[in-house]
Amino acid sequence: MKRVVITGMGVRTALGNSVSSLMDALNNDVCKIEYIKEWDIYQGLKSKVAAPCTIEDIKKIPRSARRSMPRSSILAAQACEEAIDDSGISGNDLYSGRTGCIIGSTIGSLESLKDAFETVGFEKSLDKYTSMQFFKTLSHVDAMNVAQCFKINGYVMSTAAACASSLQAIGAGADLIRLGSQDIMLCGGSEEYSVMATGSFDILSATSTHYNSDPKHSSRPFDANRDGLVCGEGSGILILEEYERAKKRNAVIYGEIIGYNTCGSGAHISQSNQDAMIRCFNQCLTNAKISPNKVDYINAHATATIHGDIEEAQAIKKVFGSNIPVSGLKGHLGHTLGASGAIEIAASLHMMDNNIIYPTLNLDNIDPKCAGIMHITEKTEKKLNCIVKNSFAFGGINATIIIHTV
Amino acid sequence: MEKNKIIEAVDDIFIEIFELNKNELTEDKILFKDLGLDSLDMVDLIVEINKKTGINLRNDDGIKDIRTLGDVYKFVEKFDLEHPDKI
Repeated sequence: MKRVVITGMGVRTALGNSVSSLMDALNNDVCKIEYIKEWDIYQGLKSKVAAPCTIEDIKKIPRSARRSMPRSSILAAQACEEAIDDSGISGNDLYSGRTGCIIGSTIGSLESLKDAFETVGFEKSLDKYTSMQFFKTLSHVDAMNVAQCFKINGYVMSTAAACASSLQAIGAGADLIRLGSQDIMLCGGSEEYSVMATGSFDILSATSTHYNSDPKHSSRPFDANRDGLVCGEGSGILILEEYERAKKRNAVIYGEIIGYNTCGSGAHISQSNQDAMIRCFNQCLTNAKISPNKVDYINAHATATIHGDIEEAQAIKKVFGSNIPVSGLKGHLGHTLGASGAIEIAASLHMMDNNIIYPTLNLDNIDPKCAGIMHITEKTEKKLNCIVKNSFAFGGINATIIIHTV
Repeated sequence: MEKNKIIEAVDDIFIEIFELNKNELTEDKILFKDLGLDSLDMVDLIVEINKKTGINLRNDDGIKDIRTLGDVYKFVEKFDLEHPDKI
């Protein structure tokens, strides 16, 4: 089996349009969650907060590539551009047939689906339905657009596992390299913010509803006063590369993917399940051939939902014990859903590079039911060689990746 | 619909949707070669003409003979004269 390393990263987030600006914001405890005034028109919507991106320089993407891009694909393409530049891979590499991309999301572009249904449904006519409206509704919209934009002609796929989508994308991409099917993979996720996304969580009572007048404190993972998740927006893309190839070209290597696992719970469509999480962790550790005490930091999924945070904290406690630092970044970023795994890995790799752990924002009073693990509540210096990243999703889907320094 | 109104409506589409400059829009320009359009853009051009003018060209076979921007003007004008009831 071949080894898989990460040689490039790119992000678009509410906290900044590059990995460095994201890290500057995390370093300064910045939160970009805000009140979304245009959502006031929606009856029954209780959560009015989100963390949208500021999209810049759209016209740098040629019209021929951009015309089929919804907001999520623009974010993905811009994150890809940063990741490609960061890695130093060339246009010839992308068009070699040995480079692929896997980019996931929760539903694709919700705003485009809404737009298409309104165009056709309101007038019961196809007369005003454009071809590009159709292309923007495809479920592989981000992978498709990125592949066209950057002329990637290897594997092109999309994962669709809600909040675990980008971790599954990275895991699947790593497997393709490990098996020798591809040499380089652009992997991650993208998600646009939408009233449809927040509204869907809202009807399930999974959103934060008590902090509309205080958005910066609305997303509070593991905190006793948390009341649900806050949707974010963004994209995270990692360049995965076969180790010997990366070494030969003297690439900067951020870390090696030594373990990945994903599994279902077979238990409930929306409720997190700690037994399934524990199975996921243990199989991932087995795949990585390490024991839990070799892990230096866990970047938790930690969405700030009442039930999910308890299940994750309990699962971490049972597998990793109480001495491994744990934090989550959704207090800063909101929950970027299908993009969250990749964005948070990029941030975690930067932490590993700098031997620093950023804390869980707004974790003022640890919920006793989330206690028993080493919560990080302030910036902490620590030598990091091995990190764990978790993502959990509707449908009982769990995913974990373990990354080690090289 | 007056000819200059048709030209104005079509040009607006090329500027807004296809992001071309007004000075690029001359009748002799070949849509695919000179103005960078492709078959998908043609599909959307028809929809945009409908939105701007109310003229629905989607089911007219004459579309496939369009090559230049001038052909677009003429095609819309001809359709408009022959099918005033379709507007």
